[in-house]
Amino acid sequence: MTMDSRPDTGAVDSVTAEVIRGAMETVAYEMATHVSLTATTPILNQSNERNATILDATGRLAALSVGIPQFMLSSTLPVRFALEFFKEEGLNEGDVLVANDPYHGGGHLPDYNVFSPVVVEGELVLIASIQCHHADTGGGMPGGYNAEALDIWAEGVRFPALKMYDRGVERRDVMYMIGVNNRTPTFMGDLRAQVGAAQHGVKRLRELLDRHGVGAVREAVEHSIQYAARRFREEVSSWPDGEYESDAYVDHDPKGNQDIHVHCKVTVAGERLRVDFTGSDERPELQAWSSYGNTRGYVVAQLATMMDPMIPKNEGFFDSIELVVPKGCCLNPEDGKTVSAGTHHPGVEVGEAIALALARVIPERATPQIYKLGMPTVVVGTHPDTGEMFVDHSVDTLAAYCGAVHGQDGWGSMPATFGNLVRAPAEINESIFPVRHECCDYLTDSGGPGQWRGCPGSRYVKRLTAPASIQTYMVGIRYPMAGMAGGRDGSPNRLIVNYGGPKPREIDCMANFVPHKAGEGIEYCYGGGGGWGDPFQRDPEQVREDVLDEYVSVEAAAKEYGVLFSGSAEEYDLEVDRKGTERTRARLRPERTQS
Amino acid sequence: MGYRIGIDVGGTFTDTILVQADGDIVLTKTPTSLPDQSLGVMHAIAELAEKAGLDIADFLARTDLIVHGTTTADNTMIEMNGALTGLITTEGHRDEIEIRRGFKEEIWDPAYPPPVPIARRRARFGVPERLDFRGKVVRPLDEAAVRRAVRRLKKQGIESIAVVLLFSFINPAHELRVKEIIEEEYPGVRISLSHVVMPSAPEFERTSTTLVDAYVGPSVATYLERLEQALRRAGYERDLLIMQSNGGIATAGSMAKRAVATLGSGPTGGVTGACALAELAGIQDFIAIDMGGTSYEACLVKNGKPRIRSYWNWQHRYLVGLPMLEMHSIGAGGGSIAHVEAGTLKVGPKSAKADPGPICYGLGGSEPTVTDANLVLGYINPTALCGGEFKLTTQGVREAISEKVGKPLGLDVVEAAYGIFRIVNANMANAIRRVSSESGYDPREFTMVVYGGNGPVHAGMQADDLGIRRLIVPKTSPAFSALGLVIADYVVETERSYITPAGLAQADRVNALLAEIEAQAERELEVAGLERGDLHFNRYLNICYPGQTFDMAVPMVLRDGRMGSAELSETIQCFHDLHEELHSYAVREEEPIIRAVRVQTLGLTEKPAMREYPWSTASTASALRERRPVYFGDRFIDTPVYDGTLVGFGHTFEGPAIVEEKFTTIVLYPGQAAEVDKFGNYVITLGE
Repeated sequence: MTMDSRPDTGAVDSVTAEVIRGAMETVAYEMATHVSLTATTPILNQSNERNATILDATGRLAALSVGIPQFMLSSTLPVRFALEFFKEEGLNEGDVLVANDPYHGGGHLPDYNVFSPVVVEGELVLIASIQCHHADTGGGMPGGYNAEALDIWAEGVRFPALKMYDRGVERRDVMYMIGVNNRTPTFMGDLRAQVGAAQHGVKRLRELLDRHGVGAVREAVEHSIQYAARRFREEVSSWPDGEYESDAYVDHDPKGNQDIHVHCKVTVAGERLRVDFTGSDERPELQAWSSYGNTRGYVVAQLATMMDPMIPKNEGFFDSIELVVPKGCCLNPEDGKTVSAGTHHPGVEVGEAIALALARVIPERATPQIYKLGMPTVVVGTHPDTGEMFVDHSVDTLAAYCGAVHGQDGWGSMPATFGNLVRAPAEINESIFPVRHECCDYLTDSGGPGQWRGCPGSRYVKRLTAPASIQTYMVGIRYPMAGMAGGRDGSPNRLIVNYGGPKPREIDCMANFVPHKAGEGIEYCYGGGGGWGDPFQRDPEQVREDVLDEYVSVEAAAKEYGVLFSGSAEEYDLEVDRKGTERTRARLRPERTQS
Repeated sequence: MGYRIGIDVGGTFTDTILVQADGDIVLTKTPTSLPDQSLGVMHAIAELAEKAGLDIADFLARTDLIVHGTTTADNTMIEMNGALTGLITTEGHRDEIEIRRGFKEEIWDPAYPPPVPIARRRARFGVPERLDFRGKVVRPLDEAAVRRAVRRLKKQGIESIAVVLLFSFINPAHELRVKEIIEEEYPGVRISLSHVVMPSAPEFERTSTTLVDAYVGPSVATYLERLEQALRRAGYERDLLIMQSNGGIATAGSMAKRAVATLGSGPTGGVTGACALAELAGIQDFIAIDMGGTSYEACLVKNGKPRIRSYWNWQHRYLVGLPMLEMHSIGAGGGSIAHVEAGTLKVGPKSAKADPGPICYGLGGSEPTVTDANLVLGYINPTALCGGEFKLTTQGVREAISEKVGKPLGLDVVEAAYGIFRIVNANMANAIRRVSSESGYDPREFTMVVYGGNGPVHAGMQADDLGIRRLIVPKTSPAFSALGLVIADYVVETERSYITPAGLAQADRVNALLAEIEAQAERELEVAGLERGDLHFNRYLNICYPGQTFDMAVPMVLRDGRMGSAELSETIQCFHDLHEELHSYAVREEEPIIRAVRVQTLGLTEKPAMREYPWSTASTASALRERRPVYFGDRFIDTPVYDGTLVGFGHTFEGPAIVEEKFTTIVLYPGQAAEVDKFGNYVITLGE
């Protein structure tokens, strides 16, 4: 007996639609959990780098689970390519496909989308899709990030849309071919975990369809998409009409091409929103390109953090954005360009540009939800205890790049959009790698001053206890995290290699496997988040609290915030000098507005 | 055996249960007293004494056992009104607690605020010192820096200090020295040492756990002392016992020193009770469901053992790294408020709580709640709850549901009420799907054990949605957590770090650590009057593959209670097998890493006999109280309503039907059937 079942007339009431929406989100959650429980490498089973989505028969996003926003949002286009490509024979019951190609809807090559259709009486109804980041994807260099690559083929193997299972039968030749093109021994285990997750999703969705009927589920999806679209349009129509332009820059690409330029024009017209990147960098010699799917994902991720967080992230949200990215610019490259570096930069600068453009429209939520990390700092060497090679990707506990928004100082580690990436602690890493995590403390005065203050970045010191070499790529030196609405920029990144040795050296772009002796290390001062609003608007009492907590020094309180004190933080008798503060602020204000 | 008393203090009610020598059970439900909960507890005990026909001193003299589930620690964390707390940690790691390994709760909302700090940055001091991961000192402790830090903490008026040094769980020398210095410089301040509170990696989890301990410590200690004194004055001479988050009991005196382990104390009792009940019924796999006024808690039990979680366990926005029963909680209860948001009906997580409560309580509530919807649909008695003790009103209920839910959605009042009912059920069913998928199980293979004031109203619908075929509602459902308290065993969890590649592990080292741990557990349980013969030791090695952040507790293979090299290899083999079972793969060619020796020491208590009822000679029909129209999805059906106090062993019911127990209501939906077993429990089966 099922009391909630209704005749399958297709007519669905709003309560049933909500019940179905909740159930679909739960299915997405179950798929992601399935990967966590069955994947064989830590990045998948412990750090949450997996993202599940449910799409309708036309490849529209219907529901997603919580993972890392940017990656969740770039999983629809590969499915659409597959739908187009297999138009004749169709996607059939029991098919499981894989896709990773940046030029067929994907983000970058290490992100594998695995998806499987739900077919009812011969008709495609839904698609369960799960995306995971893999530790290797073939190509010229291990690890999926080949900063030296000449073209996409050197970055890894491309799978535009491949059937791994055809009507429930595994294609052994295809699976074998995928396996031999990957360096990681655990790769096939992870891929099978993804296949299992997609199949699990299909099974659960089929139960949902049995329970509520195809018509009701279709209508519920439509209802949810319309709801998101309506909420999106409501938000946009509350914004003032106009054209808003902005520019964001990347210091350089790994080859040293300087000032990669992202230009953005956002047009608000009634309830319509157009985002246009015409005018962005087109230099053919660039190394760093962001694929269209990647660019689109960042557009959505940034806009989502600037609206009511309760709006469902589905096709209604995506569809409401009129996105223009000219073919050939750094955000939509011609087929064949390298994308592994560009996925991050200028990929994330898309978010920065949107925040800057909309700073005049919705200033209170306009803060870039991005990072200024070129790539993780990789430590490679021979472990003295085992004699084997080790690779430490330094996904360590630290703070960086977290800007303030109206009403809230930046806090914690990273911007909210990285909320699910769990970082490695000293007490685990030191038992695995010959390293010592000496410091990850906040760096005083590194958070951008503002009425709301940016979160400080970390002073991060990692000492090697055995010889090793270090590779990394630096950005965010000349272009740190932007301050918003009159707030000041966060501090820039600064990296010293061979720290603690006789010849410490500051890195300005690339560190290419720089040799380190035991006892030497790196000191990486990670950039702080940008401030929001005029620092002179910050309540002097709040500045006093910041000084007591050493987020801000007494000197910076005077210089950046115009706040003077009597007494001292040491003696805990620090008091705001009200008169002095008023005078200083009055005196400095004109100079500041001019600068 | 004398009386046994279980006391579960909840947010709204203090539930007590009295188990008499013959297994007979008395329940009471009295209002929780705030801010001093001990007054309410003593009031409840006085009421039990009265029901037993004794004065309180006489009653307590005949009492063998008082076990208490307390919410003091949880309340302190909800209100964030704990002690002024400081932290002394290894230099360079001052901000771990704010950085939180990168974790944030709300990934779409940059304006989401941070948690209220337990120790502000000014009260956190890094001191020069360092051990390596083997516990070797690579930088000696700078004692002068420690003294400076303590003096500054003293100057700030700090009441409680957490000490967290890296790798202290391998070599506690530096932490112990810091403790001595604190005692010299600032006598009387409360101290929580990380290697005592949570002797394991990693540092963020240990820092957070130790800070929570320091923060709730003073309020928990004060409360327990006050209650113990009140009990002494009333004539109780034994130790008060407290339920811990790991499902075992411990003396109040020892809990005051490990305050963090009282988090989740109350709901834990319910799971313990459910385990005992399921064992009697011969059920191994079940989901324990507790639905009260504000929250819905689910715990999955497989093979008779509740899942224990010790990693990545967030409680009140802080991470607690101690082994805790794995409870999943969502904001869904009788008081959950329904509202329409941009055309979509949402229920909870906001609750009307007890004050003002649902509209039908007549205490000034104006937001429609789940209980109000249940009243309109006829599931609960429209005039009174608790067998008449708690009056309800229908005034304003239909109007509010109509106004706030019906009109915006274009539904009539009954459809709107049914919408609220369906949404809250769907939320709860989804929560269970998540619980079971996280552990890799299919909920359909489980029975549901349902309790809490509101659980039995909704459970039949959730079970149907989940494909669960059987439910058990205990006779003592509304005070079930209190029952669980009186049948729990003592549990001491102890762990010692031992980090080594499996191939280099030494059996003798493991034996030495076992001896050390077990001696310590014995000393702890000696206080409770237990001897070695009463103790049962569950011994584990914590093992992982290289590269994994979280390890797995693998039961040790021992011969005559000792580890040898052959047993060590067998234990490692078990790790591969267990890994394969739980995560569907094993990497047998890889050399695992041993991370710790862990022992769970059980001090077994004598269990009261469960009262068995004789076969009822009266017919089921004799328990019929009335008939009323009840809404079942498409229409109102004239439904029989039974008086639970007249229901006995062997009675059977066919849905649709309602049974009104004193503190709860059981709804049987069409197609469902119930039978009362010899313990008075309702066993509900769903048709195919």
